[in-house]
Amino acid sequence: MKRRLRLRDFPKDGESQLVEIHADDLMPLSSVCGDEERAARWQAVSEAQKSRLVCNLDGVVAVGIPRPKTEREKGKSIDLFLSGLRKLVSVQDNWTFLQPLLLSLDYCAQCQTCSEACPIYLGSGRNDLYRPTYRAEIFRRLVNKHARPGGKLLAKAYRGDVELNWTTLTRLCELSYRCTLCRRCTQACPMGVDNALLTRELRKLFSQQLGWNPEELHENGTVLQLKVGSPTGMKPRVARDNIEFLDKDFAETIGLEISTPWDKQGADVLLIHSAGDMLSWPENPMAFAILCQAAGISWTLSSEAPGYDGVNYGLFYDDIQLARIAVRHAEIARKLGVKKIVMGECGHQHKALMAVADRLLVGDLNVPRESVMPFLENLVFGGKIRFDPSRNNFPVTLHDPCNIVRSLGIVEPQRRILRYLCPQFREMTPHGVDNYCCGGGGGLSVMSQTNFTDWKVNIAGRIKFRQVIEAFSDQPTPEVKKYVCAPCLNCKMQFRDLFEHYGAQERFGITFGGLAELIVNAMVGIQRPFIEWQEY
Amino acid sequence: MPALAWQVLVFGVIGVSSVVTAIRTLAIARQPIHLRWELAPVPQSGVKGGYGGSYLEDFEWWSQPRRHARAAALIYIAQEMFLLRSVWKNNRGLWPLTFALHYGLYLIAGLFLGMAVIAVLSMAGLDPLANQLLRESLSAVALLGYLLGSVGVIGLLLKRALDPHLRSFNTISRYLNLLFLGAVFLSGSYAWFHSKDYVAEVGRLARGLITLNPNATVAFPLSFHIVAALLFLLYLPLTDMIHFIAKYFTYHAVRWDDRPQNGRMEKEVRGLLTQPVSWAATHIALGGRKDWAGITAPDANDEATS
Repeated sequence: MKRRLRLRDFPKDGESQLVEIHADDLMPLSSVCGDEERAARWQAVSEAQKSRLVCNLDGVVAVGIPRPKTEREKGKSIDLFLSGLRKLVSVQDNWTFLQPLLLSLDYCAQCQTCSEACPIYLGSGRNDLYRPTYRAEIFRRLVNKHARPGGKLLAKAYRGDVELNWTTLTRLCELSYRCTLCRRCTQACPMGVDNALLTRELRKLFSQQLGWNPEELHENGTVLQLKVGSPTGMKPRVARDNIEFLDKDFAETIGLEISTPWDKQGADVLLIHSAGDMLSWPENPMAFAILCQAAGISWTLSSEAPGYDGVNYGLFYDDIQLARIAVRHAEIARKLGVKKIVMGECGHQHKALMAVADRLLVGDLNVPRESVMPFLENLVFGGKIRFDPSRNNFPVTLHDPCNIVRSLGIVEPQRRILRYLCPQFREMTPHGVDNYCCGGGGGLSVMSQTNFTDWKVNIAGRIKFRQVIEAFSDQPTPEVKKYVCAPCLNCKMQFRDLFEHYGAQERFGITFGGLAELIVNAMVGIQRPFIEWQEY
Repeated sequence: MPALAWQVLVFGVIGVSSVVTAIRTLAIARQPIHLRWELAPVPQSGVKGGYGGSYLEDFEWWSQPRRHARAAALIYIAQEMFLLRSVWKNNRGLWPLTFALHYGLYLIAGLFLGMAVIAVLSMAGLDPLANQLLRESLSAVALLGYLLGSVGVIGLLLKRALDPHLRSFNTISRYLNLLFLGAVFLSGSYAWFHSKDYVAEVGRLARGLITLNPNATVAFPLSFHIVAALLFLLYLPLTDMIHFIAKYFTYHAVRWDDRPQNGRMEKEVRGLLTQPVSWAATHIALGGRKDWAGITAPDANDEATS
């Protein structure tokens, strides 16, 4: 029988792992998948890595907290954390999310209704560590004890206690990156408590107060984006050269002239892609160029850093970095004098710039911002482009990026396109606002320290892979080519890892890509199929 | 206990409880504006309401009129309150117990409010309790409420103590909340079974309290129940059991607050942007700037990295 993990276990035995993950415990995959051993591949953290990094949670390292050299270092971190707890509940330092934070801290009934909604808890085979409430309750008890009047007395006598020590601190930081912030748990909560928000607030505290954050999100993420323009490291000149090369390359392939406009003053539309697409899935920005050109849209890309990269990893871990990037994006649009900014196929870009930053963009920074979904829908049904849906006559299913669908309620425009252009379109179960996360949300898809990718594909993305397989269960063989439409860069990165791990292409003939590619693939006048079914 | 003492106790406790509840409600309501953090489905009228769509689905949404969906929001909240929809959907094993507890509360709270109204009517010379059917109906409501509440409390206490999924998260406060509720329902059940005509007895007490009758008396089982209920009323606003108020804010002020920025919001945000920031990580106060507007300004990073 599995040993139950208790809250009081959390601060204990800091030199050893809190839980062990066993392949036998994980949620079974679909019977179509077979080959359970593939699902169990798991690389252990090496002794050399353990000597360098704190590894005391679940045998996985995501954040990579360096081992402290002295006890004094540990004490200093704990002191910083304590003062950070107080800042988190202050108007001055945390007005941005104070009301939602306090509501979620104070009104959880501990009914565990949220647990069964969490893809990570379910994917892990119901491991207590991954309950949405487990990390939230540790956090809640620490706030109540250390940042509320009478906290120490009430912790012992009434609210519940948890010891704060180096082990608590480091485990809590790691545990805050075992959640994709998909907010399925929040939808399930009868009180409206938001455990994903609590997780993000924890990440914020670690980042804004202790400077503890995953390298991929901070140093190689937001810092690099603010410094050179993009977490990919692409400087403006390189981004422009890349696209100019792609314009020519794709023009030869499809037999149409393509010319992507740059820095066009007064254009109707500033389109901001994720720069990762330019490098890893260049067909996506090219598909947009083809569509905008064919529809006669007045549009432009920006070559001012970071205006050619819409990602904003600040959304995942740091309000200050989030605000800095959002303000830069809006400032670029303001200077160009465009009528609107259109988000690329990127979920967290949507959420960061359309919703979360909305109340930060004051005055003339408040340039209208639109999702790519209604934008593409308007192109498809606007009558300026002719389509032949028979070109897309293969099984297609749609992945709903959490930040576009669950967070913003943008559900149907993409479906209307797919129902029109893809004769074999079918839904996953569940879908729409009830979808499951790909397993790479909350910044996880770009994080790959040590063995973190193993955790992402084996646990975080487990349910999603099962959903994909089940959506195509009527035609499982690899001879039938199948397409998962994933209109989000981060989701695509997770699908790349997930599909490689489970052998989705060679075993089941499944590939993935964006929405714009499917639209162009169905365009009349394109000489060769736009979707090439190549390896990821 | 003399009638005057009852009057002071009952009105005093109701007053204190109301004031503390109001203070806690205002504490939530007066928090500053926060950044948007909505979550679908946000109630919508028409087709969008069926699948959780929002106005952001519309082409150039800012040029479309905003439609309010108050009826859809009311229906959603009513389903949450009266059917405990989320628990039914996601935690079926808990639902019968929490449903019983909540309906016990609704029925008893409704009964006492009803008795207060009847007492006020009696001051105007009316006597609704003379109607036997009404009296018997109210009596049945009372018994049902007490029994449902008792079953809910006992069931939840057992579930909390025995269910391994819940046990690890138990605190003294969780048990105390249930024990207070249990004291109310069980003492009420005892008073009901002990009384020959429970509703008439409660009616006399309510009338005596409202008319400040110096000769009003209360028999022991009912007085014990009233004291238990008053202690619960005092305790209630100090706990998370006032989630019936907090829930308004978690839904309307967070999950469903997808209002785009407007002039009033902008004014408030401009004030908040002047707040100093004291987060300690090295990347925060770039270029020596100290307030929100300064550290997030478009040129802040240029200074720090140049």
